[in-house]
Amino acid sequence: MPCWLTETRTILTIEHSKRERNSSMKVLTHKQELCTGCLDCEVACSQAYFKTNDPNYSAIRIIENNRTYRARKCTQCGECINMCTANAIYRDRNGVVRIDKKKCVGCLGCVGFCSELVMFYADDLDVPFKCIACNICTKACPTGALEVLVSQVKEF
Amino acid sequence: MIKVNTEDYPWQPGMTVRSLLDERLFTFRHIIVRVNGEYVPEEHFDKSAIHDEDDVIVLHLMAGG
Amino acid sequence: MGAILKQYSYTPEKIIRGYSGKSLYINVSDLRIEEKEVTDFMKEKFIGGKGFDLWYLWNAVTPETRWNSPENEIVMSVGPLGGITQYSGTGKTLIASISPLTGIPIDSNAGGYFGPLLKFSGWDAFELQGKSDKDIIIFIDGNNGLIQIEEGEEYPEDTHLLAEELTSRFAVDENDMVNVSVVCSGSAAKHGYMGMLNFSFYDPRRKLCRFKQAARGGLGTILRDKKVKALVVKYKGITPNLNNAADISTINKVGVKYHKEMHDLDSKQNKMRQIGTANTVMIMSQYDLLPTRNFQTGGDPETIKISPQVFINEWLTQGLHDGCWYGCTMSCAKCADHFLLTSGPYAGERVTVDGPEYECVAGLGANLGIFDPQAILEENFYCDTYGIDLISFATCTAFIMECYQRGQITQEQMGGLDLRFGNKDAVLELLHQMSRGEGFGKLAGLGTRKLKKIFVEEFGADPALLEDIGMEVKGLEYSEYAHKESLAQQGGFAMATKGPQHDEAWLIFMDMVNKQIPTFEDKANALYYFPMFRTWFGLVGLCKLPWNDIVPSDNHKTSEPAKVPEHVQNYVDIFNAVTGQNIDNDELILQSERVYQFQRVFSVRMGKGERKDDYAPYRSLGPVSREEYLSRQELYDKQLRDLQGLEPESMNLDEKIAKLRAYREDQYEQLMDAVYRRRGWTMNGIPTPERLKEIGMDLPMLLEVIEPKL
Repeated sequence: MPCWLTETRTILTIEHSKRERNSSMKVLTHKQELCTGCLDCEVACSQAYFKTNDPNYSAIRIIENNRTYRARKCTQCGECINMCTANAIYRDRNGVVRIDKKKCVGCLGCVGFCSELVMFYADDLDVPFKCIACNICTKACPTGALEVLVSQVKEF
Repeated sequence: MIKVNTEDYPWQPGMTVRSLLDERLFTFRHIIVRVNGEYVPEEHFDKSAIHDEDDVIVLHLMAGG
Repeated sequence: MGAILKQYSYTPEKIIRGYSGKSLYINVSDLRIEEKEVTDFMKEKFIGGKGFDLWYLWNAVTPETRWNSPENEIVMSVGPLGGITQYSGTGKTLIASISPLTGIPIDSNAGGYFGPLLKFSGWDAFELQGKSDKDIIIFIDGNNGLIQIEEGEEYPEDTHLLAEELTSRFAVDENDMVNVSVVCSGSAAKHGYMGMLNFSFYDPRRKLCRFKQAARGGLGTILRDKKVKALVVKYKGITPNLNNAADISTINKVGVKYHKEMHDLDSKQNKMRQIGTANTVMIMSQYDLLPTRNFQTGGDPETIKISPQVFINEWLTQGLHDGCWYGCTMSCAKCADHFLLTSGPYAGERVTVDGPEYECVAGLGANLGIFDPQAILEENFYCDTYGIDLISFATCTAFIMECYQRGQITQEQMGGLDLRFGNKDAVLELLHQMSRGEGFGKLAGLGTRKLKKIFVEEFGADPALLEDIGMEVKGLEYSEYAHKESLAQQGGFAMATKGPQHDEAWLIFMDMVNKQIPTFEDKANALYYFPMFRTWFGLVGLCKLPWNDIVPSDNHKTSEPAKVPEHVQNYVDIFNAVTGQNIDNDELILQSERVYQFQRVFSVRMGKGERKDDYAPYRSLGPVSREEYLSRQELYDKQLRDLQGLEPESMNLDEKIAKLRAYREDQYEQLMDAVYRRRGWTMNGIPTPERLKEIGMDLPMLLEVIEPKL
């Protein structure tokens, strides 16, 4: 019997979400007040993972609004984990939400379901992509606006 | 007298979309209401008055099996 | 593991624009295995899925073929859109054969993995012909290009054990289990005519096999009669474009848009992700449409005990993806996990029950007078593992119960079973008897049409009453919708080609509540468009639920919200994107109509496709009994007054029943005339050569069948 099923006849909750409570995760953060909109982060990300200087292949997207800049990137909330139709999404040992490329079938359900709109895809890729808090963009950022911090996994 | 889904139905003063749905036991959540051709959003059901001789359509979008 | 009887190596064809171009033929009499070309003619006229199934079946049988003749085939095919991962509901396999219940072609669909894995293994379709002399397992390995037939005697009969064993056997490790899918039936399929096919898929979260069903028509009975115990397919390596679509970008875009719609709107609409199709149970009861006690009434106050909220709160696991094929975010295949069985051979075990679907709650619940969710789930489990079509079982058992209630058969004649409405223990015992092939269960599995004959000839029952209350047409039982007041739905059921299954038309609300189709012509138009549209899904590999069990937020602003135009456009776009063709809405209907008319002529060929075969039992059209009349007296008296100019106050109850009946039967005849006209059929229900020519189906083989009947 799967370890996460309880013995009772009441709603069967997902045990691993209980295990996740009080565990930590790395997450990329962005300080609007330090951001100049230079887009070096987008370049660094798309270059590192897809060998291209194209914001459509960056897991961080800078959005301008009246010369202030906010960043859209994965918050590691983990909502996509349970809805993945291939059971391909999981938290790694740093608490970062990852896609197992061997299991993913490219259904893009996670892209449609992401409430933050931070799961991205491209037509020539088999698997969607997201921020994995790898620090490549934080090193590229000239103003220190980006930082990977450790946070608590929120129960969902 | 009003029309509800093309059939005659008695009208009373003070009738609203909501009171009509309750009276007719139209409990289905997924309905489209048009009064005299105008769509009435769900948020307005309580306030939307129905007047004598109005033509009311209550479309239930039931998918079925 | 049994001895290997035959091995066949092949080179799996790559899929191009949704087709492999090859179909597989296996004859289990002599273990002959052949590869056939899928021709341009087939693709143009039949598209795939049910179209391919019927084409191959026609060529395999003669008008003399019975369901258990060796030349009868079980044919399965998924269709060109089957197996894409980006949209919801893209794993539907269609299966066709000559049915034991009807003697004419039945088509049935099942969600899940088998069809896509079969196609990716290189096969657009699979014909299974002949009869083996001992139980065999057929294994298709799509990665290694191998087909293997082996002895299967030692494997268990019942699905939940059989599929688990076979999946474990053919998977190399835990991660490989999702790559295996099994088609099998169960112990009851050896004894009755309502055996169904289970299609397995492995659930990696629950770590067990789950099942969808190709339920209607007795396909499981045929499989076991051929002594095929299971079909197994294995394919590893699902990627987003295995179909080699012409335009992957459009597929991705439409898919993401639909997933977002599901995320934003499902919980406000039908809650398919929480409860699946059973979400409609309370509504159906509130609108007097839930079939109760053999379709006598439309609901019961006790329905609250089996409402969707009860299942959501107390029985069904929430919050994770449930299947059935990859990419389906509607995820409506709910389960009751860790469910304790209390009866039968598996009593005391905890199992996962796949369900309940709407048909299960309505059929195994309300229609049998059972308002106990635990009982419904246990009935569901045993129907599944025993391989019994729960719709036919429910409707047939409801008929038995009413016969008993009305003193037409006795408890003694049922071998001591106290099959009164509401007796869940007797129902479960009946299922166990069907599994063992013993007692009354042996008779009950034969289906309503056979039982009517047996009850009259052997038990002295009243033939006229049984004709009125036995809910079957052409030999197939009705599915679970009370429709006494909807003339359109009466036509939708009784004039459906295979028998009264609701896949052709579901018009009850449109007709009875919304009053959108008041005239005969309106109804005939609906009974043309909706069957044509709804059966298109079965040509291409799609599930119909994502079409209208959720709608876009602005759907109400469109001119025809019941058709959900944006979703229809999604399907047109995806079809063109996969196949590289350029169809529009009209061409979609035309594709469907070609196969629809073909199936009707096929039924004519096999002896049940004419006007005489399209009549309904009176329980479908109106109140048979006094209690039924009295339960809706105000409505019926008003109709006698308004529609027939009669004075109900001066008539006694039996006179009123008779007059109403005469009126309704006449209404139904007029509907038949209007529908036949609209469908391009003669007044005897035969497709005309003119209509066939109009749609490009004036094939000599069809003209040969219809010409003598004109």
